[in-house]
Amino acid sequence: MTGQTPTILLGGALTSTATLAWMFFKNEQAEMRHLKILTLVSMAIIAAISLWLWFLIFTDDFTTYYVAQYSSRDLPAMYKISVFWAGQAGSLLFWLLIHAMIGSILAYHNAPMKAMGVYFSVQCLLNFLVVLNSPFWENPIAQDDGFGLNPLLQDPWMAIHPPLVFAGYAILAVPLSLSLGNLLESSSKKWLEPARKWTLIASVLLGAGIFIGGYWAYKVLGWGGYWAWDPVENSSLVPWLVSVVLLHLIILSKKKSAVLPMAHIAAVFTYSLVIYGTFLTRSGVLGEFSVHSFASSKISLAIALVNAIIFLGGLLIILIKAKDFPRGRMYENFKDPAYATLLGMLMLVFIAIVVWLGMSAPLILQFFGKAAAVSPTFYEAVTKPLALIMAAIMIYIFVKVGWQISFGGKIAHLGVLAGVAAMIISAQGETVDRIFMNNIEVDVFGHKFTYNGQIFETDSCRKFYVFNVDGQEVRALTKLRENGDDAAREPAILRNFTGDIYIAPNPNSFRPQELILDKGRFQMDGEIGYTFKSVEVKHVDDKYLESITAEIEVTDGVTTENVQLLINFRREGAISYPVEFLNGKRRIRLIGVSDDRLKLRLEILPTLEEISQLPIIATISTKPFIWVLWLSAAAVCAGTLAAVKK
Amino acid sequence: MRKIFLAVLLIGFIAYAGINFSENLTPYVSIAEATASNKNVQVKGLLDKNFEPQQSGGEFLFNLRDEFTGETLSVKYSGIKPDRFDAAYHVIAIGKYNSAEEIFHAQKLLVKCPSKYEGQQAQ
Repeated sequence: MTGQTPTILLGGALTSTATLAWMFFKNEQAEMRHLKILTLVSMAIIAAISLWLWFLIFTDDFTTYYVAQYSSRDLPAMYKISVFWAGQAGSLLFWLLIHAMIGSILAYHNAPMKAMGVYFSVQCLLNFLVVLNSPFWENPIAQDDGFGLNPLLQDPWMAIHPPLVFAGYAILAVPLSLSLGNLLESSSKKWLEPARKWTLIASVLLGAGIFIGGYWAYKVLGWGGYWAWDPVENSSLVPWLVSVVLLHLIILSKKKSAVLPMAHIAAVFTYSLVIYGTFLTRSGVLGEFSVHSFASSKISLAIALVNAIIFLGGLLIILIKAKDFPRGRMYENFKDPAYATLLGMLMLVFIAIVVWLGMSAPLILQFFGKAAAVSPTFYEAVTKPLALIMAAIMIYIFVKVGWQISFGGKIAHLGVLAGVAAMIISAQGETVDRIFMNNIEVDVFGHKFTYNGQIFETDSCRKFYVFNVDGQEVRALTKLRENGDDAAREPAILRNFTGDIYIAPNPNSFRPQELILDKGRFQMDGEIGYTFKSVEVKHVDDKYLESITAEIEVTDGVTTENVQLLINFRREGAISYPVEFLNGKRRIRLIGVSDDRLKLRLEILPTLEEISQLPIIATISTKPFIWVLWLSAAAVCAGTLAAVKK
Repeated sequence: MRKIFLAVLLIGFIAYAGINFSENLTPYVSIAEATASNKNVQVKGLLDKNFEPQQSGGEFLFNLRDEFTGETLSVKYSGIKPDRFDAAYHVIAIGKYNSAEEIFHAQKLLVKCPSKYEGQQAQ
């Protein structure tokens, strides 16, 4: 039931999209009314499939493999929405959904027929990828609960980051289609204005997605700050940079016809780089080079094929039409602002090439024998001078012809300038590791730090490291796994006008003591006495372990309690739940039982009270004026958005 | 003249980028190759369970074991034990081998876990 209907619907969507592409190419104006309705039908099918997936997620249908992989019963509703795009199959479907929605908008805005033909051809390719990698595949095993969403990703910022990026990706197909459609129909400049608007919208969404991703990476631990030059970050940065180049070339083309061929080429490159980034992060080739764990995917070959079709097909059309391009000068003289703009774009292209080369190094060098990656130092050393030259050019243009730039444009460009400055200044902070004893003041970088221990929430799902910096309390959150281990860590951040004080507490390491109990025998450990009473081992279908439940009696001489210990087995591993007893005097968990079920192996863990009193090592760093970076990112997005309406 | 100037600038930049590229290239090597090299490399291995990882101040010490040859490598990471290190089945250390100290100095560690939800395996 699960897989059948949506799979048939996906086939139906593919058929309707292919029909649409073909009919648009046939260019029958008379049928336009029908075509519009057909775009709606095609979009409705894809929307129905998407709603179906959300329905399966919200009804905890773990017979669907995708739902079992990324959702769980106890996941809050907000994150159940984002389960949709938590994995590859779902994110491709989400991409297709946005693409189809934009397709209907284009049809009702009477976009040129050939452009619509190109757009729906691209939709066919995306739909084909979703058919190959459907999120509706049946779960091969019976599961009562899903594995849940990675705790690190259970964050409001992370819930909106992927849809923004994918919406940006999807909309970048519009300038590509308008560009190629225009070449196929009649080379004119009519495509430039709609392409400008759609490119602006796409780069706002993609840019906002990237910035939010960076902000999230800053406020969690383990991602190496707001930008770590990780392949997964770079693969979205490159298309965004090139989309900004495309935008400027489109604007320049309106006045200088000679720039037109470059705008067409940029449109093809932008979208091809979107697909290339998807290929790179999904192919598995980067698995050993990224903090992000990539699963190698069965559809990487198909993505590579789609990439080749779009890239080579696009360039071929441009090549065939090259003779029709208008001739002329791209700029009058070196004082022409167009010259400076082109030079600025050249810097941006260089930055994009550098990042592209760096992120593709493992893939490229594999062909030459030995795989290798480049370290972040490469990106920083090479892109910094380019960014500074670009900033200088922007200041020059501002001084020369600033009054000609729209209000939104001004805000966006000022945002970029402030952002470049903030990146350089915030990197000048200091970092040091310090040991903190409970309630003892330590002086670091002229600030007074006191560590006040750890606070556990009542349900033991989260804990906080409490610090006091210059009289102000800040807390560092750590999300906990069911077995008591750390699942996701965040720093404590004290935000000041002069910048952030960033405290990254490091997990305590302790060696748990082991205790072996013999059935029925009374044993002492310290001042606590244990008696192992019974154990029950459950199997699924008499084959796989399902759970182990043990009952022991504990006493401190005054009070006697019965304690239930539990290990739950899931396909990906076992969870042993720590139990605290005798009023928090002891905390233990079960870690094994002998074959004859006469011996139990326990682990004696520090109690929550003991943990909260342990000294810790924390990494303290300062991030001067980092808030300027967030503010400038917001300015870039707001300015770009304001520029849509000219 | 201006064209020559631009060409020189371009070639200069390509050379600068190329030098940086090759300097910051970290090839992917085995433990044997890592100990023979004095360059930055990235080496992958299993955690050597015979050696208890230690954190002393800002330095973290552990041993890597080659999956195929069984060779071990002492690694000193300038930093704190990464998250989920104990659950790792593969650790990738990026850095340089110091033959005098017979220790691999890692600047970065990538921890590869079997899955996002591995718990403590019962024995």
